[in-house]
Amino acid sequence: MIDLIQELTESYGPSGREEEVQKVVLKYLEGHIDGHKFDPVGNLLVWKRGRDDKEVLLDAHIDEIGLVVTNIDDKGFLRVEPVGGVSPYHYVGQRVKFPKATGVVYYEGETPEEQKKNLSNLTFDNLFVDIGAGDRSEAESLVSIGTFGVYDSYFYKNGNYLTSKSMDDRIGCAVLVEVFRNLKDPRHTVIGSFSVQEEIGLVGAFVSAYSFSPQICVAVDVTDSADHPKGLKRHAMALGKGPAIKIKDKMSISHRKVVELLKQAAQKANVPYQKEVLTFGGTNAAALQRTKEGIPSATLSIPTRYVHSPSETVSLNDVEGAVKLLVSFVDLELEL
Amino acid sequence: MKEVKALYLKELSELDGVSGDEERVRNFIEEKIKDKVDSLKVDVLGNLIAFKKGTRSNRKFVLAAHMDEVGFMVTNIEDDGTLSFGPVGGVDPRVVVGKHVRINGELPGVIGYKAIHLQKKDELLASPKFENLRVHIGARSKEEASRKVELGDYISFATDFRQENSRATGKAFDDRAGCAVLMEVIEQEQRYEDDLYFAFLVQEEPGLRGSAVLFEQVCPDLALVIEGTTAGDDPGLPEHQWATRLGDGPAITFMHRGYVVNKKIYESILRVAQKYDIKHQPKRRTAGGTDAARLAKTGGGVPAGVISVPARYIHSPLSMIDLGDFENTVKLVSKILEEGEGFAR
Amino acid sequence: MDTVSLLKCLSSADSPSGYEDEVLKVIEENIKPYVDSVRKHKMNALIAVKNGQNGKKLGIFAHADEIGFVIAKLEERGFLRVEPIGGIDPKVVISQRIKIFTKQGVATGVVGFLPPHLQKDDQKDKVPDYNDIYVDVSCSPLSEAVSVGDICVIEGRCASLGDRFSGKALDNRASCAALIMAASKLEIIKNRADVYFIFSSQEEIAGPGAVSVAYELGLDEAIVVDVTHGNEHVPPMPPIKISEGPVLAVGPVINREFYKALCDVAKRHGVRTQIEPTPGRSHTDTDEVQLTRSGIKTALVSIPLMYMHTPVELVDPRDVEETARLLALASTVNL
Repeated sequence: MIDLIQELTESYGPSGREEEVQKVVLKYLEGHIDGHKFDPVGNLLVWKRGRDDKEVLLDAHIDEIGLVVTNIDDKGFLRVEPVGGVSPYHYVGQRVKFPKATGVVYYEGETPEEQKKNLSNLTFDNLFVDIGAGDRSEAESLVSIGTFGVYDSYFYKNGNYLTSKSMDDRIGCAVLVEVFRNLKDPRHTVIGSFSVQEEIGLVGAFVSAYSFSPQICVAVDVTDSADHPKGLKRHAMALGKGPAIKIKDKMSISHRKVVELLKQAAQKANVPYQKEVLTFGGTNAAALQRTKEGIPSATLSIPTRYVHSPSETVSLNDVEGAVKLLVSFVDLELEL
Repeated sequence: MKEVKALYLKELSELDGVSGDEERVRNFIEEKIKDKVDSLKVDVLGNLIAFKKGTRSNRKFVLAAHMDEVGFMVTNIEDDGTLSFGPVGGVDPRVVVGKHVRINGELPGVIGYKAIHLQKKDELLASPKFENLRVHIGARSKEEASRKVELGDYISFATDFRQENSRATGKAFDDRAGCAVLMEVIEQEQRYEDDLYFAFLVQEEPGLRGSAVLFEQVCPDLALVIEGTTAGDDPGLPEHQWATRLGDGPAITFMHRGYVVNKKIYESILRVAQKYDIKHQPKRRTAGGTDAARLAKTGGGVPAGVISVPARYIHSPLSMIDLGDFENTVKLVSKILEEGEGFAR
Repeated sequence: MDTVSLLKCLSSADSPSGYEDEVLKVIEENIKPYVDSVRKHKMNALIAVKNGQNGKKLGIFAHADEIGFVIAKLEERGFLRVEPIGGIDPKVVISQRIKIFTKQGVATGVVGFLPPHLQKDDQKDKVPDYNDIYVDVSCSPLSEAVSVGDICVIEGRCASLGDRFSGKALDNRASCAALIMAASKLEIIKNRADVYFIFSSQEEIAGPGAVSVAYELGLDEAIVVDVTHGNEHVPPMPPIKISEGPVLAVGPVINREFYKALCDVAKRHGVRTQIEPTPGRSHTDTDEVQLTRSGIKTALVSIPLMYMHTPVELVDPRDVEETARLLALASTVNL
């Protein structure tokens, strides 16, 4: 599963420009699904038919946070704006990768005092990007206004710990892919939704389930892991304690019957799990549950340190646990 | 293509249609377009949806502009006969003082402010707040005012439209400019390949509401939202922070709040603009939102493009557009429709 | 049942957003005798139908969920960290008893406060947030049974104060009571359309409880019943008072024709009403119900309430009764 995770996290796929990663997903799913389609807003939907007429939809968002070019000046320097919840602090002194160029992100300051002031009050308005272009036309041969960029970061493994950019939510995508690769003669039809533009407002997930009739939706996404020095004091989540069954975050409460079924699935598959209460943020479950006349939904989370930084870190143990849990879950009777 | 004359811009700008009270604008548009489209209907929320059948009819293409403008609502009738009011849509209280307004489209009023002579130093520097502002309609008492006005009545700015030096100034270019563009396209009385639904929407300002009920009624394959968008190209901001520039043509959006425009649609719009040498510019800030964000999230989802007439000082009683930009927007939209099924294929 | 007893009964059910089963059972028992059918919706709503004559569908919504908490983390020695469900001012949580629903039963803990003797100077005027608050469950025999994810409420206590009534969760149980009483009045007042009394879930966390039902039922008209701030003058709004009757909202999220019809029917039958201009969103289920499918003609009726989102919310039972009367009359309106 390591190769899958590495390839997915290192791929380029900022919100709104996810085509490349979706191709990677389809590559790994080949031979393991009965069909796929792209819906009108670009969500990738795949399925494997089951024996009965029930449907379960598993979702992971395939987009990552990034930057978008909004201005190119006479000297070839770029101005950017955030795509999704990106902190400018995660970019200072780092590199941003565009499809045809890599740039350095830095901050303005005409005096040491101004530099210090800007550094403590960093906004995208006092940052610029240097792609090594000598002037505007050289820059325009490499990027345009409206070109999207992502963290220039790479995947590495430290024993059980995996670090890369965009674990949020490529790790969820990896889990979904692995679930499909492990499905043999499923009881119910399993639909995989690799949805777009989650980071800017759960956009894709509002419509991914529309053309299906799932009984239940489960979103697989990352959650905070507070087990590092002075991590958020009200968060109980930690790496290595297993996948987290989300009870609540700021945008939704997991349907309590789906929570019970997830627990059942974990027990049946002998997968240790943790329960999660997140004090900020939301997942695609908040959107999926609003499809048509409503779909009972929940989120299964992968605890992750340093979310939205270029070095998100997860435990392979939790990831493999999530796969086992979901394979067991889609095999349950799923009576609500 | 018939010459663009900005035919209806003046009337559209001067009509009162605050979010929730769009009837006057809708009646005007309906009257002008009803003989130039195949059918039209008004839905439960008040959207006006006009239909033109296509020559090939394989796709349903929505062209949307919103009829509502930001304004106010009467929230209380005070004992002294003045009216308390609250904003409908996003209005900065600082643009409101010393202005003429109209209640229910006809009753004149003014929003005054304490004379400068009478203000203490800290008052001079303090921002006005809605709770301290009042509309005066000339009534002497609560009883007299209550004979003319009710709680919940709508109040709009009463700015007159002026056109000179190739520019137009007035209120509500966001988004009567968009409505005017659509009306101009309808005036062409041309038939195109796709089925067209011209959607004149309500309540965009208080949260993209009118567009939320479009999917169920039309089930569109794609959409174009025509907006009056923010310019910001005035001396207050450094150049690299301007969103658009007046005179540089229609602004094409690649991303705004809550939505990244579908790549195929965005690139197709640029291609059409380049093909016909129509002046155009990218919108350079991702702030602000349009009905495109709502369309992407309703029903089965509708991919939408966004084209805007740049406007300075939107959400104030006095904004400005360049008439050349307006004409080029009409041209661009017309040429997009002329591409037929080839557009964003 | 008289109004105060009904309010007591509904207030004492513990059902925060997402966990509405207890109160839905109580509501079902109380409304069953007055309607033709009752069923549960998968998104945790109760739908009670009283058939009408003209085939149209009027939905009357009241959210049945209340604010509460969920256990976020277990610390040592029986101290717990909580996360609120819905908007609860941390100040009102101080020195309250908290009921925690563990898998083995209810464990009651306390939210303590450092006495003045031990406070440092910089703590004296400081107001806590949830990162400072602990629930101390060491006083409960079930303290070991508490786990992350357990749902909690502030322990409620009802009080009759003169002719007013105070209790927890009157947001929105007062409205639920009004719906039940309106249903009983439909024995006498004949409703034109089929009336769907919908007790929906998750309003306090802006969940899809009401819209899911609205989507499924294909309603022609809808009235959302919620509470609004009474005796709390907030300029530029007009003063809305307790004991002066139900409040009708007017604004873009409300269908103006429906609003006028309600004002009219109220006037004709002597139901005293107040008006709440709503220039923007109402922050009730009305906002999204209006946008369901091709749009629904919606109205918003509110019961004036003081001290919203505290355990001592206060209403006048007569406002509840008048709201019930208005709702029953609303079922005769022909739009």
